[in-house]
Amino acid sequence: MQKEQPKKQEPVTGKPKSSLMQWLDERYNLSALREFAKKKSVPKFRETIWYYFGGIALLLFVVQVITGILLLMYYKGTEDIAYESVRFIDAKVNFGWLIRSVHSWSANLMILSIVIHMFSVYFLKAFRKPRELTWYTGIALLLISMAFGFSGYLLPWNELAYFATKVGTDIVGQVPFVGKFMLTLMRGGEDVTGATLSRFFGFHVALFPGIFVIFLTLHLLFIQRQGISEPDDWAQKEEKEKKTIPFFPNFVLRELLIWLIVINILAILAVYFPWELGNKADSFAPAPQGIKPEWYFLFMFQVLKYIPGKIWMINGEIIGILFFGLAGLLWIIVPFWDVKLKPGYRNRVITYTGLGILAFIIVFTIIAFIAG
Amino acid sequence: MKHISIAYLLILFLVGAITFRLSAAPGNDECLNCHEALDGKVQTPAIAFKNDVHHAAGITCAGCHGGNSSVSDMEEGMDKKKGYTGIPSTKERYVLCVKCHAEKKAMQSFGYRGSTEQFEKLKSSVHFKNSYNDQGPIADCITCHGAHGILGAKNPQSRVHPTKIVQLCGNCHSDPSYMQKYNPGLPVDQVMKYRTSIHGVKNAKGDTRTAQCVSCHGNHEIYSVKDPRSAVYNLNIAKTCSHCHSDTVLMAQYNIPANQYKKYQKSVHGIALLEKGDAAAPSCNGCHGNHAAILPGAESVSKVCGTCHAFNMELFEQGPHKTAFNIKKIPECESCHGNHGIEPVTDEFLGTSSRSFCISCHQAGDNGYKTAAEMKQLLDTLTASKKNADQYLDIAERLGMDVTDEKYALKNMKQLLIKVRTSVHVASLGKFKEEIAPGFEIVKDAETHGRKSIENYYFRRKGLMVSTVIVSILVGLLYLKLKRIEKEDRA
Repeated sequence: MQKEQPKKQEPVTGKPKSSLMQWLDERYNLSALREFAKKKSVPKFRETIWYYFGGIALLLFVVQVITGILLLMYYKGTEDIAYESVRFIDAKVNFGWLIRSVHSWSANLMILSIVIHMFSVYFLKAFRKPRELTWYTGIALLLISMAFGFSGYLLPWNELAYFATKVGTDIVGQVPFVGKFMLTLMRGGEDVTGATLSRFFGFHVALFPGIFVIFLTLHLLFIQRQGISEPDDWAQKEEKEKKTIPFFPNFVLRELLIWLIVINILAILAVYFPWELGNKADSFAPAPQGIKPEWYFLFMFQVLKYIPGKIWMINGEIIGILFFGLAGLLWIIVPFWDVKLKPGYRNRVITYTGLGILAFIIVFTIIAFIAG
Repeated sequence: MKHISIAYLLILFLVGAITFRLSAAPGNDECLNCHEALDGKVQTPAIAFKNDVHHAAGITCAGCHGGNSSVSDMEEGMDKKKGYTGIPSTKERYVLCVKCHAEKKAMQSFGYRGSTEQFEKLKSSVHFKNSYNDQGPIADCITCHGAHGILGAKNPQSRVHPTKIVQLCGNCHSDPSYMQKYNPGLPVDQVMKYRTSIHGVKNAKGDTRTAQCVSCHGNHEIYSVKDPRSAVYNLNIAKTCSHCHSDTVLMAQYNIPANQYKKYQKSVHGIALLEKGDAAAPSCNGCHGNHAAILPGAESVSKVCGTCHAFNMELFEQGPHKTAFNIKKIPECESCHGNHGIEPVTDEFLGTSSRSFCISCHQAGDNGYKTAAEMKQLLDTLTASKKNADQYLDIAERLGMDVTDEKYALKNMKQLLIKVRTSVHVASLGKFKEEIAPGFEIVKDAETHGRKSIENYYFRRKGLMVSTVIVSILVGLLYLKLKRIEKEDRA
């Protein structure tokens, strides 16, 4: 949203500049940038809180990049010493335990933030024209984040990760037509081996970050170009009824404040609940009890457990995968099937569908946690 | 039809029974009468058979060879149509013995009330395996008992009498060329060794109470020494020896105590072998030998123990005790550890407490006494320090700190402590201190790391508290700044 707010604007030159600012201004024309930022505003209404989750996800991505680079200095992505290198990071490297724990926790919080951000966009109908591409790039960022999580889970090469990856890739292998190819591509062979670890390491530190940055840039560019979405019912409101807050410095400072709170939560989680390493993976050992994927895959994992082995001569797992595939596709293409009503009318179909999906995910995730 | 079949079977049974009894009727053996009167190889079996237990029981030649012994006409007596079989093949001759000896009723009809399980036992034994030339079992009934001059086992002339059996077994087992065909790895000097043993010497003098081959290996049920069913399998051998050596009446006749097995059962070796099933642990033969069983003398005890406890023996020989024991002619290992009832070693055996071995010879004030006391003190300090370090590491681990390396180092202490305890055998304080010093280093490192890990755990929480306070202050300041800006905006 780009809106003029003459009342709230201050002259850029209203305050005396510091010598550094003056120095930079002379060279890079920062005043124009500040002027531009001041013109941007964010709608202020009951649901404004949800607007912060995109920023939180961005902060956590930055944390991921920084901690990931630090871990990369000691981590060795080969079958023989991957586990030992992580143990070395945990035990011997100064603050290594903290960096690893922050990396693991922020990865999970980042996906949680993206999921909340996605649902808020969905319920606020912010995916509608003209923001379809912003929605698609956002969905792409979520999928890449999940791929980040799936690949990163295996990197410590511990027992749970090894068998969870085995189960996870087995499920991918069930996808009709392309399953076998995907399975071999992911595993680098028939089984989860050192080749799988090398691949996952490559995907995690090179391929996914590259793709993620491209989609993130596009996502931010789209937002920048189109402005922040307004609530549905604002279309009928008079300009003077629309309350807004300046993007800079008000919204940015609020975002910063939330970021600091998130950093505090992250630090508490990392110190009080450090990410355990467990035992080293052993392909000859029996699968330990309690193998489960990361929490964001849990609802699918649990539902697949309930599907019978055979349904009308068809493999139950394939039907489950097709069901989730279709549901995911429908979710992604919501801008196409969304029924657009006249301004002022709420689209309850979209809202109830979203609530149903959200309840479905929450219920099955809780069941999976309880079932252990 | 059913009745006809039953009647037919009854008739067959009656005819068979009458025929069998006729062939067993004494004093009516025309075969024997003729063959006895002949010369050469056809006469020999007849003469031998006259002394045979079977002949005494009234069994005629026809009992094994078939035909009719009651008629004097050779044609009629050896008529194949009437069941004459002649000389049985080596492959199946045992069947003739089994026909009666495996049948309880048949044996009872001759007044025999003993076991009829010989064949069942023989069937599973090593001897009943097929011979290399496919000529029946390696050894069957006739191989040991003979064919025509079979005598009761208690008869001193019997081939299986206790004084004869060693020679009988030796016929095959002392023949290298024969044994090579079946088990090239098996020694053939058992009889020779046996004759040097106390058992063998007495047996040679006609003592039937001492052990010979079948006393340990069994008679019909002989298995390979590697077979757990064998009486001489390592886990079974102590029990086998105890059959005689725990017999107080029998042992009293030789002035030998009969409590060795009882003591052995409770000993460190007995527990390892009998309770834990560790087949590598020594049984009676581990120290006394088997075929050449003998009591190790005072000088050789350490050599015997040293076959397994090589390092201890080597250390003992380096120390002053070796010479002292030799001069006094006292057994080396046995003097402290005992023999059959060797207890698991504890640190209490070192030092000057009432359980210590050292005080058996050393008295307060002498050098040995002081050395023993100091060694014990050092060992106690190390074990206590290790326990302490273990506790620190356990606490650190419970707090979620990584102490894997230090725990591993402490696990290695077990090996070091064995080495330290073994070095006691040199009886040198200098050597002992040299061995124990690395232990103190390891324990100190582990304890330090344990302490640091625990401190670090609390440091992390304090650090978190500081960072949380700083960030919270920043949050507060930012909030105030925001409020001020928004107030200015509203103004």
